[in-house]
Amino acid sequence: MTSFVELLLSGITSGLIIGLAGLSVTLVFGIARFSNAATGDTMTLGAYGALMGTSLTGSLLAGGLIGLAAGALSAILAYVLVFRPLQNRSPISSLLASIGVAFFIRAVLGVVFGHDQMVFQMDLVRPFRLHGVRIQPNDLKFAGVAILTLALVFVVLHLTPIGRRMRAVADNPLLARVSGIAPRPVMFTLWAIAGAVAAVAGILLGMKTVVSPESGWDMLLPAFAAAVLGGIGHPVGAVLAGVIIGVAQELATPFVGFTYKIAISFLVLLLVLLVRPRGLFGKIEGVR
Amino acid sequence: MILNINDMSKAYSGLVVVDKVSIRLHDCEMIGVIGPNGAGKSTLFSLVTGFLEANDGDVVLDGRSLGRHSAAERARHGMVRTFQVPREFANMTVRENLMAAAPRQSGENLISAFFRPRLVAAQEKEIGSRVDETIAFLKLERVADSLAGRLSGGQKKLLELGRALMTGARVILLDEPFAGVNPVLIEELSSKIRALNARGIGFLIIEHDLGALSRLVSKLYVMDRGRLIASGTPQEVLADPLVREAYIGGGLA
Amino acid sequence: MDAYLIAIGTIAGIYLLLALGLNLQFGLTGLINFGHVGFFCVGAYTSAILSTKGVPIPLSLAAAAVLAMLAAWPLGIISIRLREDYFAIVTLGFSEVVRLIVTSEGWLTNGVQGIAGIPRIFRDGAGEAQAVLMLGLTLAFCFIAILAMMRIVRSPFGRMIEAIRDNEEAVRSLGKEPAGFKMQVLLLGSMLAGLSGALYAHYIGYISPDQFIPFVTFQVWMAIIMGGVGRISGTIAGVLILMFFLEGSRFLRDFAPFIPEVSMASIRLGVIGLALILFTIYRPQGLMGDFTKR
Repeated sequence: MTSFVELLLSGITSGLIIGLAGLSVTLVFGIARFSNAATGDTMTLGAYGALMGTSLTGSLLAGGLIGLAAGALSAILAYVLVFRPLQNRSPISSLLASIGVAFFIRAVLGVVFGHDQMVFQMDLVRPFRLHGVRIQPNDLKFAGVAILTLALVFVVLHLTPIGRRMRAVADNPLLARVSGIAPRPVMFTLWAIAGAVAAVAGILLGMKTVVSPESGWDMLLPAFAAAVLGGIGHPVGAVLAGVIIGVAQELATPFVGFTYKIAISFLVLLLVLLVRPRGLFGKIEGVR
Repeated sequence: MILNINDMSKAYSGLVVVDKVSIRLHDCEMIGVIGPNGAGKSTLFSLVTGFLEANDGDVVLDGRSLGRHSAAERARHGMVRTFQVPREFANMTVRENLMAAAPRQSGENLISAFFRPRLVAAQEKEIGSRVDETIAFLKLERVADSLAGRLSGGQKKLLELGRALMTGARVILLDEPFAGVNPVLIEELSSKIRALNARGIGFLIIEHDLGALSRLVSKLYVMDRGRLIASGTPQEVLADPLVREAYIGGGLA
Repeated sequence: MDAYLIAIGTIAGIYLLLALGLNLQFGLTGLINFGHVGFFCVGAYTSAILSTKGVPIPLSLAAAAVLAMLAAWPLGIISIRLREDYFAIVTLGFSEVVRLIVTSEGWLTNGVQGIAGIPRIFRDGAGEAQAVLMLGLTLAFCFIAILAMMRIVRSPFGRMIEAIRDNEEAVRSLGKEPAGFKMQVLLLGSMLAGLSGALYAHYIGYISPDQFIPFVTFQVWMAIIMGGVGRISGTIAGVLILMFFLEGSRFLRDFAPFIPEVSMASIRLGVIGLALILFTIYRPQGLMGDFTKR
């Protein structure tokens, strides 16, 4: 029973990280209307940015903010240089180009930082016990940062004028265009948020595990699965779905083994597409 | 041939777009559906032809209910639509567009395509000559081997009509056939539709160009905010004060 | 030098089979298959495992092609009716999961160590003669595949898949179901990938999971985009350009030995990534051709 609770807690933490990545995918999908395969490598970029920042400033917090800025900046750059020129073409063009962006980011990271795994220098904190359940203080911190990030994003989406415009575009891009909502600031905000959120996910993942040029790409499938399960374009859905997937992965690990974690997200993806392609909260349109 | 559209309804998250619309199309009739923008006309077409799932209502063609059939099955039963924005196969020639529309081609089966070349060749020849007739009828000879994507708006409308003919449709639903077509070609298109109607094909037509439409059809239905608000001969309908109000309300005098 | 050309020719032929499959799927039908390497992997492992267990190679080759098709079938059932980018994601996920499986199921695949000592297809005679025979067999498969492709393109089936690529809704409005056509195309393309994988396994003699990364899929994508999407001649040209790039980067290493091999791998990745971006933006129709007709 206690080991079940421990797995559950660990699952929630990794689920929040998946949820952040899924949120980035779903936001881009809702507003820019394509599946962004560069999300995973933006995560990696954020993690390396944070590593660099930490060793430069000596502070984990400052390093994290630098990583976040790096993620946001690279996403804006990708928008300006790649996705904006493609915005009037089929979403497939953007999807294909996003694979190119992903490869390019990973290649640069690979050349600059090499292929050896890197770790964040973090204090080793002993787990404490609560009613016999072992709790990792670091996991709690990661979960806290993830929840804080999510809270900030939802504040921006729901309480600021630009956030309301973003949601209007997401609900109906045509309507938003004719009713005179200028898409440009909306798009810049979108990409900044999407990049920053992905970077936070990458940094947390790097702190929880290790950082390598491939680590973000491996999160792409869980991120897509979360976005689809949550109902693509639906921010709250993506986060909830991420947690569900994270918990499912951890709970399944004793049965299927560590290596099949990613396969769990694939299974979830297939099941959703088979049973309910519009996901938990999705609208019926846009699925086919 | 009788087409019965019974109580078609569609709502999106509470917003009713099409509300219990019933239309009856008898043998070789031509019927028009008019209404201001956003009245639900195109949605109605999509519901009838199976491109959208209806919340309620049924489509009955010659006594056979098609309400549960897929869009392709409905087309195979003889009810074929065109699109408001033409959906030509842009990277194929006009001739290939028409060839593709012919029903029951053995060569669409890979095994026949590989192992029964003579059967396929004979069918291709037969379809080819029907395509030639269609091209001649639509006067598309000059562009027969051009890519469909390069045609003018009016030519694309003709091509879509031609594809519908090639399927052997008995009733054709035209979604704004005159939109984006120059006046000369509108007359041309009208005369083609009239000629086809005389051959026994029924037409249900959505149109904004009331002049061209009312010269064509024997009966008009008027939609406003998802409902049918009037029906009758074009003269009756256009004199109806309710209709005039709906149109002025919709900003279309 | 002759041996070198024979080797390049054989690898090019293996890539060409892969590329012909993808061109049928994407170029002619518009199917966005991001997991081509998964079917390649299924084919390679199937033939490697069977032949090392003593199954005659002609049988193991056939099994590779059939198993790759069987793997594609459920994917098609689930995702072929959905939006095209969902299909892309599902196939990408499939190829990653295939790699996970061959990594994890050591009892069958020998895990990360991979399978060594895969028997060659031609084992008699001098080394050079063997190599020529292998090249001949690969090119023969390519030739048959090209002939079949040309037959398909000129058939009513080919006309219909091009119509599906141009406008799926219009196809349905004419009373034809796109799903069945797309499924057949998916299966055919996967079969070619499976066969290509099997040839690869027997030619190289050693396979391991890290040879089947998504990078391979997108190399093939790059090849068909560079050559001209939808054109058979373009696919051939694209594969030749790809070989030139891969071999060129190897020669570059000879001139610049200070670049470590892992960096070289990153540089290849970056070049393919950059090429994907630039071609998608500036020349979606490929280096030659006008996107419209063969």
